Amino acid sequence: MSPPHRVNPQPLSLSPRQPKHPATTKMARSNFSVLTILSVILLLPVLSLSFSPDSPSDRRLLVLFDDLSLKSSHSIFFNSLKSRGFDLDFKLADDPKLALQRYGQYLYDGLILFSPSIERFGGALDLAAVLDFVDSGHDLIIAADSSASDLIKSVATECGVDFDEDPSALVIDHRSYAVVGTEGDHTLIAADDFIESDVLLGENKIEAPVLFKGIAHSLNAANNLVLKVLSASPAAYSANPSSKLSSPPSLTGSSISLVSVVQARNNARIMITGSLDLFSNRFFRSSVQKAGSPKKYDKSGNEQFVAELSKWVFHERGHLKAVNLRHNKAGETNEPAMYRIKDDLDFSVEIYEWSGKSWEPYVANDVQVQFYMMSPYVLKTLSNDKKGLYHTSFKVPDVYGVFQFKVEYNRLGYTSLLLSKQIPVRPFKHNEYERFITAAFPYYGASFTMMAGFFIFSFVYLYHK
Amino acid sequence: MARTTSSDAQALFHSLRSAYTSTPTSLKIIDLYVCFAVFTAIIQVVYMAVVGSFPFNSFLSGVLSCVGTAVLAVCLRIQVNKENKEFKDLAPERAFADFVLCNLVLHLVIMNFLG
Repeated sequence: MSPPHRVNPQPLSLSPRQPKHPATTKMARSNFSVLTILSVILLLPVLSLSFSPDSPSDRRLLVLFDDLSLKSSHSIFFNSLKSRGFDLDFKLADDPKLALQRYGQYLYDGLILFSPSIERFGGALDLAAVLDFVDSGHDLIIAADSSASDLIKSVATECGVDFDEDPSALVIDHRSYAVVGTEGDHTLIAADDFIESDVLLGENKIEAPVLFKGIAHSLNAANNLVLKVLSASPAAYSANPSSKLSSPPSLTGSSISLVSVVQARNNARIMITGSLDLFSNRFFRSSVQKAGSPKKYDKSGNEQFVAELSKWVFHERGHLKAVNLRHNKAGETNEPAMYRIKDDLDFSVEIYEWSGKSWEPYVANDVQVQFYMMSPYVLKTLSNDKKGLYHTSFKVPDVYGVFQFKVEYNRLGYTSLLLSKQIPVRPFKHNEYERFITAAFPYYGASFTMMAGFFIFSFVYLYHK
Repeated sequence: MARTTSSDAQALFHSLRSAYTSTPTSLKIIDLYVCFAVFTAIIQVVYMAVVGSFPFNSFLSGVLSCVGTAVLAVCLRIQVNKENKEFKDLAPERAFADFVLCNLVLHLVIMNFLG
């Protein structure tokens, strides 16, 4: 997502309320300060649980509903989040006390928008506040459905996906719909066109198709951070199922995305889907049979799909950190302040992946280091010891100047690693050049012969008679 | 057009040689010195062509030392030649002193450039 520039961020922190009657001012003020101290003391343990580099998983989630019945109709999803250690805060989207941050501190690490029809959030929350929340590195799940409001659509647009403009359109697929008792209008889709990525969807393959009923969205071509995780089949299209199709649908085939994710440049993660029912208990528990396929699954793939993808969104998977970037001359251990051209050096860095509970060694054979000055002079693939230590050694090029060690690691689903460390490279010192080179002995000889010749010549010339 | 034969060439060399015998000994010594310097320079160029130009500064200083010596010696020869009327006002002692000074400067530069 390219973070949009907002000129006037709304002041979100709650300002202390002014007392209404001058007579009570003093008392109110002292009450207020006591309250402030109390609230700080109460908040401290909460703050210590917040997102930190040492444990990047989210802890506190705010869930916004249109109506609270969703809390029970989607309870399996919420209970799985709770069992994974999240604190969920359920609120109505038009709650007048709604706020994401207080006194400049975010109260939540993640936001789940299960309120597709909301036209205007309550309290201090608005489009800019949601985007600021993401811009400061927090995560977001947006679920829309056929009642999606302009507000929800514009949040999604800012994140890089465009929902279908037509408010009555649903995704229809006459080939890969889910077989239900009645013939229906084929808007309940059994989708199984997943992105191939273990880090996004977990190592266990999702066997059963995922049930989807909702609206289509397409990816903004200008945004290269947004990915289709679940795309519609080539036969799908987005149209109003109850009216006859008079003109070709605007969104067709596999350009329709059912579920998309974004990983912003600040590693904030966003999941966007056009189906709120995707998360519902009814879909989690229902059996699924894809049209034209003889196989009937007792349970749809929704639960596994949603659980795995939410692990990714809330940084329980695919979060890398690089530490202990070291370099030294071959055979030494101290890090020098500068290198000389043609020095042999060792470079190492440790890369770990967050498993949700602890930092595990990250093992890959495609991590590269650049020795960079305007362009990479050296590009080496790092070898690893399976314990997270990546290492290589190379010779400093025969060019002096201010170089950088650069590790730029961007892989699908993983947080991007961008490390750079500056290091100057100097030329040979005056006394570091080779002396008395064997190949040059004839030249030395010739020069000294010329000197000796000069003396002999002078002598002979002066005394030759 | 006159026909040239080998006897003509022989006659030319003979007359040159007989004319050279009348050259003063001091000039002959200078000629010998110039030949020696040029010969050394050629040897170094051949050596460089065989071995390669790696210590290029050493090669340059070696060859330029020889070339410089030869040039300075030729200058000395021009100045001390009695038949050259251009420098008839210049004493041969003064010419030789100039030659020594130039050689000192040349070899100082060569020594700095050699290593």
